[in-house]
Amino acid sequence: MSRLLAAMAAIAVVVSSFAISSNIALGHERRTVGHYQFVVGFLSEPAFAGAINGIELSVTDTRANNKAVEGVEKTLGADVTSGGLQPLAITLATRFGQPGHYAGYFMPTKNGTYIFHFKGKVENTDVDEKFESGPGRFNDVQSTTDLQYPTKVPTGADLAASLADIRSSLDQLRILAIAAVALAVLVPVGFGLAMRRR
Amino acid sequence: MRRLAFITACALGSAAFLGGAAEAHANYVRSNPASDARLVRPPTEVRIEFSEPPDPRTSMIQVLDTAGKRYDKGEAAPSGDPNGLKVSLATLAEGGYVVAWTTTSAVDGHTTRGSFAFVVGTGPIPAPPDVGDAAPPPTAAEIAGRALSYAGIALALGTAVFVLFVRAPAVAEETRREYWLLLAAGALVFVGSVTLIIEQGPKLPPRLGAMLAVRAFAGIVIAALSAAPPLARMRPVAALAGGAGVMTLGPLAVDRPRRVIALAAGLAAALTATLVSHATALANLKSMVLDYVHVVAVSVWTGGVVALLAIVLLRASESTPEERRALGATVWRFSVTALVAVCVLVTAGTLQAFDRLVLLEDLYETPYGIALAAKIALLAAALGLGALNLLRLGPRLRAGLAARAGLVRDTIGETALFVVIIVAASFLTAFAPPAQPSAAAFDQTHHVSGLRLEMLVASAQPGRNRYVLRVHQGLAPVQGAEKVAFRFTMAEHDMGEQELVASERAPGEYAADGSPTAMFGTWRIQAIVRLTGREDVSTVFSFPVGAGTGSQSQVVTAAPYTMIVFTDPAEPQAGAPLTVFAVVIGPDGNPVTGKSLRATFTGPTAQAPIDATEDAPTLGPGRYKFSLAALDAGSWKVAIAIGSEASGTSSLEVSR
Repeated sequence: MSRLLAAMAAIAVVVSSFAISSNIALGHERRTVGHYQFVVGFLSEPAFAGAINGIELSVTDTRANNKAVEGVEKTLGADVTSGGLQPLAITLATRFGQPGHYAGYFMPTKNGTYIFHFKGKVENTDVDEKFESGPGRFNDVQSTTDLQYPTKVPTGADLAASLADIRSSLDQLRILAIAAVALAVLVPVGFGLAMRRR
Repeated sequence: MRRLAFITACALGSAAFLGGAAEAHANYVRSNPASDARLVRPPTEVRIEFSEPPDPRTSMIQVLDTAGKRYDKGEAAPSGDPNGLKVSLATLAEGGYVVAWTTTSAVDGHTTRGSFAFVVGTGPIPAPPDVGDAAPPPTAAEIAGRALSYAGIALALGTAVFVLFVRAPAVAEETRREYWLLLAAGALVFVGSVTLIIEQGPKLPPRLGAMLAVRAFAGIVIAALSAAPPLARMRPVAALAGGAGVMTLGPLAVDRPRRVIALAAGLAAALTATLVSHATALANLKSMVLDYVHVVAVSVWTGGVVALLAIVLLRASESTPEERRALGATVWRFSVTALVAVCVLVTAGTLQAFDRLVLLEDLYETPYGIALAAKIALLAAALGLGALNLLRLGPRLRAGLAARAGLVRDTIGETALFVVIIVAASFLTAFAPPAQPSAAAFDQTHHVSGLRLEMLVASAQPGRNRYVLRVHQGLAPVQGAEKVAFRFTMAEHDMGEQELVASERAPGEYAADGSPTAMFGTWRIQAIVRLTGREDVSTVFSFPVGAGTGSQSQVVTAAPYTMIVFTDPAEPQAGAPLTVFAVVIGPDGNPVTGKSLRATFTGPTAQAPIDATEDAPTLGPGRYKFSLAALDAGSWKVAIAIGSEASGTSSLEVSR
């Protein structure tokens, strides 16, 4: 029960962080792409592993006094990559009441560096840009471990790692069991043969 | 003939555990120009410092441009530093240059080679060429020579200790067997040493040559001692020796002095093994003592087992209970001696392992560690056989029961194990241990997610630095990482977070230059390695930055502030762009932001004052930058004013 309460508390912390930082925060990277300015970061910052989050993208036209560019979600594709893993395709969607702002939802399950990749077109300009979290850009995904109190709740990644360890141990046990069974069969047989020779 | 072959096999086996003495390798430590240096003016010479004294006669430094044209003039010569070499250069034009070096350790004659690059002007730094193995494996002749002489040392020491302290030969046949063992020991030491001298050929370093000559002489002494008593008994020879008035063989015919001299010669030969080892090359007294103790202890044990077998067990009679008890007493005395030797051996070996291994994983991830692990496993097996003798067969004999056959079988088994181990030991001496001296002020290894990450930082001073990460998986360097990045944060203060992205400068070696660690204190360096198809592998190194000798940064007091002033490049050259950094620290130790800094330069020529720029997101808080197009050569005073609150002065040397 206490674990459940702790998990709920952790989620409450994470959800409250959404409310605090729902606007484009300082932890976003600004980059000029052609005539457009991209501002990219996590939808919710700080971003925590195991909490629903997403890509936050805003596009403005530098030629038109940074006017919001609309319709980008129809022409621009996005994906997210953690480390050297295969990327996950993300669907961009407009944000209600915020022209030129787009969101693509996903749940980061591991703390560390994430790369957002945008490919396609903004109006008539080809775009192929990668934005990577890190110092001077936008924040990495953080672990919730330090925030959990009093009981630490493992993240999905932690659980997956634990399961992998258990699987590995089970494999070793299986090999040992096979060896033990083989010995249990072979030793009496050998003993029997030896006795028979005598 | 069969007996000789048997004794030789025993001797080879007894050398098995002498592999504790890791051999020397002269590794690159630093150079001028430094690796990857960017120079404004061409250098007139290249100086390289190695971890051990090189032999200039057989060392070579080549300086080539990207087209392969050589610019070095003449042979490599001593640089004045005991471990240094230098070579003069023809005039270098602007462009990239590669320095390929090959050197032979003056300590043990081992060859190492490597390369680095520098650039004159603004061009790209060329990739260092692949020069093959950094330390080519030793030849079969070298391994054979080393094994033979080690075998001889072990046999000589083991036999001498056995007959002096365990049991002296009681009958003529046993004495004759002792002679044979010492003769074989002396011959092995001599032949092994000569083999090593021949194998080295003209590139034999004088110091190594002298050591091998001493060892060969010790071999002659050991062999001559075994031949002395029979010669002394031959009247014409004795008369000749006495008549010549030079010496008499009489004292040598007396067993005890002869054995003491054999022991001394064996110890001297063992000392030569230590004096050409890695420990001596590093001038580390503790390592030298451990090495010598290890060699002597292993010799006493292994050579003693062979002596027990050859002198006592093979001919012992156990027809009566008294004979069995006597044999049991001999076995007991030897077991106690061997036990002491093994304890000393294991202690010295363990302490050596602490110095030579970096991680426990080294035991199965490095060639040295694998050879060492094999040796330890075989050592355990040999110890098991020894324990069997001590606990099962010894008591049987002492109780008057027959057990000689079992003892003979077990000691032959031990000897056979020694023969197998000698292969592992010979290879062990050939490989460089994982803990190698490097040029780095900081060198730490972490094992993370199956990767071995070794972080090296060139200097422990604040300012411009080089950060290198060596990435290995098992034995293989991890090449072609998608990205290797270093992120820097400070433990004591909020200096922001900065990132350097490293490029692969050699297989599995990723380097980045910059000045993120700009302040005294403890820095956390998070190394991130990105490999295709894997999650990022990340670890954090704790890197202390402090004042020390040779510091290129200066601490300037500007009450109430303190400034750390350093330049990029660390050694400014005349006519080259130069950046002076000042980190301003408040009385509370925290970085001070939002100040206006102005630097006024006083030196050989006029230089207008320069205002600093502050870029906290990029450089970190509290750090101010003065960018200069160039300064003339000479000594400069740089007065830095912090608004109208305070000022301090630092000095700057600009070379030509």
